[in-house]
Amino acid sequence: MNAPASGLSLEQAPPISVPFRFFLSAPLFLLLAALLVLVSGPQALASRWTPALLALTHLITLGFLSMTMIGALMQQLPVVAGAPMRRQQVVAWMVHIPLLAGTLMLVSGLFYSQTALLRLAIFPLGFAFSTFLVAAAGSLSASQVHHATTRAMRFAGTALALAAGLGITLAGTLGGYFNLPLNELIGLHVGWGLLGWVGLLVMGVAYQVVPMFQLTPAYPARLTRWLGGSVFLLLCGWSLAPQLPLPLATWGTSLTAAGLAIGFALFAGTTLYLHKKRRRKLVDVTLRFWRTGMLSLLAAIALWTTAHLTSAIADDPRYPIALGILFMFGFAISVVIGMLYKIVPFLVWLHLQSRLPRDKPAPNMKQIIPDHGSRRHWWMHMATLLLLLGSMAWPQLVYPAGLSLGLASCMLWLNLLAATRLYRQLAR
Amino acid sequence: MAAEITLDVRGLEPPEPMVKVLDALETMPPGDSLRMVHNREPFPLYGILQQDGYQYRTETFADGHFEIVIWR
Repeated sequence: MNAPASGLSLEQAPPISVPFRFFLSAPLFLLLAALLVLVSGPQALASRWTPALLALTHLITLGFLSMTMIGALMQQLPVVAGAPMRRQQVVAWMVHIPLLAGTLMLVSGLFYSQTALLRLAIFPLGFAFSTFLVAAAGSLSASQVHHATTRAMRFAGTALALAAGLGITLAGTLGGYFNLPLNELIGLHVGWGLLGWVGLLVMGVAYQVVPMFQLTPAYPARLTRWLGGSVFLLLCGWSLAPQLPLPLATWGTSLTAAGLAIGFALFAGTTLYLHKKRRRKLVDVTLRFWRTGMLSLLAAIALWTTAHLTSAIADDPRYPIALGILFMFGFAISVVIGMLYKIVPFLVWLHLQSRLPRDKPAPNMKQIIPDHGSRRHWWMHMATLLLLLGSMAWPQLVYPAGLSLGLASCMLWLNLLAATRLYRQLAR
Repeated sequence: MAAEITLDVRGLEPPEPMVKVLDALETMPPGDSLRMVHNREPFPLYGILQQDGYQYRTETFADGHFEIVIWR
């Protein structure tokens, strides 16, 4: 019954600068996305293939989502898996700077249709992701902890490797290095990136943080035991189905896609149900962001299902954009922001706790990022989501949407910066 | 005779579990021990315990909860 005491000491736990560099960079990419929306206007959203929309998507997925998710994983691996990452400060440098530079190169290459920039972006992005994946794999393989979260993290990491590999192949194809079928590659890249890397990681992290910070009962073990693995297998099946002879290929694709929709709907539904069952009835800002995220995920699934039944929706060029707004902005960004508002104050508190003398207690979590600041941000975030969705019907709404996205990203950045400054002041 | 106090921190929002344990350790007489009952393994706490010179032993239970015995 005795578990070996794991050897995590404070020297091994990452310094606060490791995750914070990622967290503080990410909102700036959302701000860039807002500027891009304002500069491009309604024609940016004319189809999912406009240069502006491709640039916008990657500002969000690489600049905001991957940036925060990698930063959080570098911090979380030691905490949830008891497995410190080796040389984390060096790894942090080797991932953060190339991810930053590579994202800017890729986004400018897509926006200005400059193939030279796309060819160049391959190297920093490939370097950043492979460095991170090797370091994370090393840390997870040393971990003695095996639960649904570490399993989901392994699946999410594999999905990231595939999505990044496919992305690099795509950039190389657009840049003229290879001559490969673009459409099939794009489908796989989007599937593994959004459902695999983002979806599976959110799922795995939710198993820990929803009960921990939102004080809900635990996710049912019969769900967590198989859900992550099933989503991963369904993604594999969905990727390979088109290789089957017709009509098996069509059936295989539809069945696996429907399975994925059911898997994510179960996850979102369970999370909302657990929120209802929470022990403390307080509605804090993280809960608001997570509810927004889960409802958006359900709305995305409903839209996807409707499109599969109604060809008028499926053929509308606005359909994939609306789906992207619901999944990337409504679901993924909301959930990540909700997480940041818990982990940033927690990390500030934890690091101060171990640095300050015992008679000088660390400030409590509520003082580190005050509620009113993050709540104001949630309102701005909701306005942005509704304006973005509204712009599908009234294209002129992209201007107020861009403006409110810009304001919301500044609010996030300032809230995170205030926490960082408080840490610096007190840790001195 | 050495005493053992039990502190059940299940259902508290972080960082409350750690705050409660560290507060209890402050006032614990030498030779006594503290049994922390928790629903996850508190890896960040281990670091602080090592730094402050405490020893600890973690017991895992089939229902998924953990008990960490801490002494100096």
